[in-house]
Amino acid sequence: MNQQIYSGKLLQRSHLSADTIELAISRPRQFTFQPGQRIRLLDRFQERDYSLVNAPADRSLRLCIRLVPKGRFSTKLRAAAIGSCFEFTGPHGHFVLRPSGRPAVFVATGTGAAPFASMARAGERGFTMLHGVRSAEGLLYSDLFRTAAGAYVACISGKTSPAARMFGGRVTAYMEQKLAPGVYDFYLCGRSDMVRDVIWLIDERFPNSRVYTEIFF
Amino acid sequence: MKIYTGGGDRGKTGLFSGERVAKCNLQVETYGDVDELNSTLGSLSAALPEGWTDIDGQLRLVQADLFHIGAWLAITPAARTNATLEEFTAERVLFLEKTIDAMEEQLPALSAFILPGGHASAAAAHVSRAVCRRAERRVVALMEQSDAKKLPASWQQLLRYLNRLSDYLFVLARFCNHRTGVEEPLWKP
Repeated sequence: MNQQIYSGKLLQRSHLSADTIELAISRPRQFTFQPGQRIRLLDRFQERDYSLVNAPADRSLRLCIRLVPKGRFSTKLRAAAIGSCFEFTGPHGHFVLRPSGRPAVFVATGTGAAPFASMARAGERGFTMLHGVRSAEGLLYSDLFRTAAGAYVACISGKTSPAARMFGGRVTAYMEQKLAPGVYDFYLCGRSDMVRDVIWLIDERFPNSRVYTEIFF
Repeated sequence: MKIYTGGGDRGKTGLFSGERVAKCNLQVETYGDVDELNSTLGSLSAALPEGWTDIDGQLRLVQADLFHIGAWLAITPAARTNATLEEFTAERVLFLEKTIDAMEEQLPALSAFILPGGHASAAAAHVSRAVCRRAERRVVALMEQSDAKKLPASWQQLLRYLNRLSDYLFVLARFCNHRTGVEEPLWKP
């Protein structure tokens, strides 16, 4: 495990949605990673893992952060002054692309789209991207995915009617109703209940597929 | 923080290389044995007398190695999924060999078969040794059913490691009895 401690300065903070921000941190020269991997931000009393959303060749490191109500860590990140320093370790995790002849299906809920954004920015193309959110406002990096994906499906599970070209329902409903039978490489990133439901569905409907998972808490 | 997804509630689990397999799959059984071995090392560590930081430190390193081994055993040989996994190298076998040699220098020569037992830590080391041998047998069975041409180099090294680890645990059991002054139980046929 990579325990070397790096330091990076906060360069920029932007709002992606009402409850999601993206931070840009200066990149230590010797730090390298593969798309899909995480860094671990260190604080005096706690640490949090965040997937990188930039491409490996980019000059800054970018993190997609869901603002948790009363969450100490995300609140601190939201308030941190531009120029302040963060310590982190990494890269961590094994949620990286494993090239094969099988079509890749990326399934995300909420900020679980982050590692897939990094893969797309690194040049990955032709994948199917299913992004499950409650409302269209929560769709992250949709322009990027529309460009890079062979098929990009926004799955809107809330009560509001989905806009044109969006699917009304959870990602599992889309997979049951619309995803053609076959053998795929599934990459799942998001809440544990989504991962569980999708895995069960894969076992039933898409046997012999490969499944790679990353749980976002 | 939830540690469960429930994805395995229906009897299947996912290998590190992505395949969904039954939980009684030989590969799962194999890394399950390595996990069991690792857990017995935790018990062994807890049974060490106060202040044995040298041995406790060795056991921590072995436990980390077993985590690494478990990850390798969760990859099917043909899968190209080791891009982020460090090779398991012969260096780890050398670490065990040096540790065995250092302990053996302090022990009296063996003059008879010994029975597993003695001090609580020695008895625990023997349990670990037996579980280690089972894990090793499972790895051999797994290799037997795999295409020899596709076996990762790390599998060859981890097999050597498990073989040497059994030896380490045997010597450690003797060392625990020796250092605590507990007489080794000898086999009297």
